[in-house]
Amino acid sequence: MTEHRKPAVFRLDPPSGSAALSKSKSRNAPVVIDDADDFTNVEPSLPIEAPSLKKTNHFSIWTKLFWSSLTGLISMAIGLWFWRLTEDLFRTNNAAGWIGLALLSLALIALLVLVIREVRSLFRLSAVTAIRQDAEAAFEGDHGDKAKDVIQRLLQFQSSDPQTASQRNAMQGYMAEIIDGRGLIMLADRTLMQPRDELAKAAIAAAAKRVSIVTAISPRALVDILFVAAQSVMLTRRIAEIYGTRPGNLGFLRLARKILGHLAITGGVAITDSVLSQIVGHGMAARLSAKLGEGVLNGLLTARVGLACIAVCRPLPFLAIEEPKLQDVAGEILSNPFGKS
Amino acid sequence: MSALDDFSLALKSFAGFTSGLINPTVRLGVTGLSRSGKTVFITALIHALMTQGKLPLFTALSEGRIRKVSLAAQPDDTVPRFPYEDHLAALTGENRHWPESTKRISELRLVIEYESNVAWLGGPSTLTIDIVDYPGEWLLDLPLLDKTYAEWSRETLALAKVKPRAPLATDFLAAVSAANASLSADEMQARTVAESFTLFLRSCRDESVSLSSLPPGRFLLPGDLEGSPALTFAPLDSLSDIPDPTSLQAMMERRFEAYKSHIVRPFFRDHFARLDCQIVLIDALSALNAGPSAVADLENALGDVLKAFRTGRNSVLAKLFAPRIDRVLFAATKADHLHHSNHDKLEAIVRTLVDRAASRAEGTGAKIDVAAIAAIRATREVSAKQGKNTVPCIAGIPLAGETMGNEKFDGLAEAAVFPGDLPDNPITILEAGAKPLDLRFLRFRPPISEYHADGRLKAFPHIRLDRSLEFLLGDRLK
Repeated sequence: MTEHRKPAVFRLDPPSGSAALSKSKSRNAPVVIDDADDFTNVEPSLPIEAPSLKKTNHFSIWTKLFWSSLTGLISMAIGLWFWRLTEDLFRTNNAAGWIGLALLSLALIALLVLVIREVRSLFRLSAVTAIRQDAEAAFEGDHGDKAKDVIQRLLQFQSSDPQTASQRNAMQGYMAEIIDGRGLIMLADRTLMQPRDELAKAAIAAAAKRVSIVTAISPRALVDILFVAAQSVMLTRRIAEIYGTRPGNLGFLRLARKILGHLAITGGVAITDSVLSQIVGHGMAARLSAKLGEGVLNGLLTARVGLACIAVCRPLPFLAIEEPKLQDVAGEILSNPFGKS
Repeated sequence: MSALDDFSLALKSFAGFTSGLINPTVRLGVTGLSRSGKTVFITALIHALMTQGKLPLFTALSEGRIRKVSLAAQPDDTVPRFPYEDHLAALTGENRHWPESTKRISELRLVIEYESNVAWLGGPSTLTIDIVDYPGEWLLDLPLLDKTYAEWSRETLALAKVKPRAPLATDFLAAVSAANASLSADEMQARTVAESFTLFLRSCRDESVSLSSLPPGRFLLPGDLEGSPALTFAPLDSLSDIPDPTSLQAMMERRFEAYKSHIVRPFFRDHFARLDCQIVLIDALSALNAGPSAVADLENALGDVLKAFRTGRNSVLAKLFAPRIDRVLFAATKADHLHHSNHDKLEAIVRTLVDRAASRAEGTGAKIDVAAIAAIRATREVSAKQGKNTVPCIAGIPLAGETMGNEKFDGLAEAAVFPGDLPDNPITILEAGAKPLDLRFLRFRPPISEYHADGRLKAFPHIRLDRSLEFLLGDRLK
């Protein structure tokens, strides 16, 4: 327990002034500072800190050695080649040499920016996971300070998206009031996440519908597969953007891996919760046409990819809001596969 | 409780159930011992709902599903209406002050028009809320129903002879020993004893002692019954098993029984047993201020209050024949007298206080929650630098005449107060021989009312009123 503090009273003479207290004006006369009702005790807006990437390594030390030495060799070869090229250019013509050097440095700068971007996008992806875990912990334990910390990070995370400005502002207002940790996380879920959820659901529904229509009318199975793959990739990118994850290329690969993992785990569960509607929907559609039935199935697959993507990209767990189900995003292709609305 | 009572209760709840199918009604009981803030709580609650104030955690409102909240005509013609308008005027008028306290039962009907978001049954709906306000002291009477006069006499006298009450009870005990139970009944004698008994009970409620568990409750808040025979009795010493029908003891016994059958039982049957959810307001700060014996006494009182709740989840059968309270919220009021960093500790203390009783009620299915609230927040938070230390303070305008240290306030100047720290471990204040906490709370004036640009009154600032509402009503406004 901290040292005992005695009750005390200080008179505030101007309505909300800072000094002028009627206590003895000795050298340790107390000074009252107006907190303006903003009592976030935690350090405001911590920069997003990426926790160490947990990798599961299946490769032996020799394989790693092989690959790293090989890549080192290759990059040296490429570097040497560029160097030689510039030297050759200078030998042929001085001006061409300068132009070559300028292009090379531009390329290097661009490469550096690209690498930084990729690394940042990877960090953002891990930050999502960290925020989600901390939010869950703060919710379970009803910790006010932890919740404020998590929400600050979330606000920071979303701060690059101007569309979220008013929601972020509202959330800042809630944080200045006396609300418990659990309540704050629920408010963040409702204020910051719900509008994003609606956008994501709309994106999924649109993609699922596109896939089901294209599959129904496409002449070749290969076209179907390519189209589904392309739509899934686009959908994943779109949802990641909606939630503010902005994955780069490497980030996208990690995201795709996570989504596949998520699909593998939840696939079985999802089948049980929606098997009835799938069978009914598929049965109805298939009776009309086999191709149409395929379209419905492909649409459902796309929708499921989208849902898995929400589960992976959303920085908060579903606490105040119900998690969208397959019916919520793919209801239309089941009931109205022709898409005339 | 007699079989007839049970039957009429069953009839009433059956009628309530059938009409509830068409027009759902929730009876929300608001209670608490006197000075715990019931009147302010109800006024603030109604005002917040009617002005659709800032209640972010009250889901139905923050999702924008509440269309309109209005006051409606009173359902029970014999129960006084809660004078909401008067209390609101007291809080916001020229000379703003806290409204008069509850002296009797009162009721108010509130109609909420909202959009339901339940699948299949969604759409426009109406929920009627009957807020029933009654003094918490009356709940302490309910254990009396199972006691005989002799048992009650013995217990009350025994309590009066031990420590926290003994110094207050000297006059009363003298009056009891002066009265002879076996002599023939004499009205004047009965009155003398009863009056000294009432005085004794009142002095126990005094701010410096702040004792809580003091049945019979009507002696403190007699309402219209002041001076009637049913309130003119007192415990007596040296009782005989079979009293002479003309003796003082027999008269006292008759009046005790009349008190039970004409006052306690009707209240239980007509009001209390029909409640659906209940909020119990607790002024834990006053008890903490008064010392460990007051806290222990508050715990006893809460135990008695909880015995009264016939809690349990509303199953279909139970709904037909015995409505039970399915949600109980214990709210430690006046949380605005503390800095928010102490709220968790206050909640922990209240949780410990109600734990014994709460665990039992939870076992029968009622949901229990504890919150530190302020229905109207009269202070804001500041921090004061004193030498090297920074102490978290609250600032507000203390009531005229409040004193602290050698400061005396005039009701105009603002002051910042550091009321002291609550203990980290709530158990420490309940242990026998615990040291009194070094705490001091000031009473503040209501906050200065704020108005919208168009002249409408803004909702009062509050602490966790929305969380309380969500707990009590959230499920019914889905």
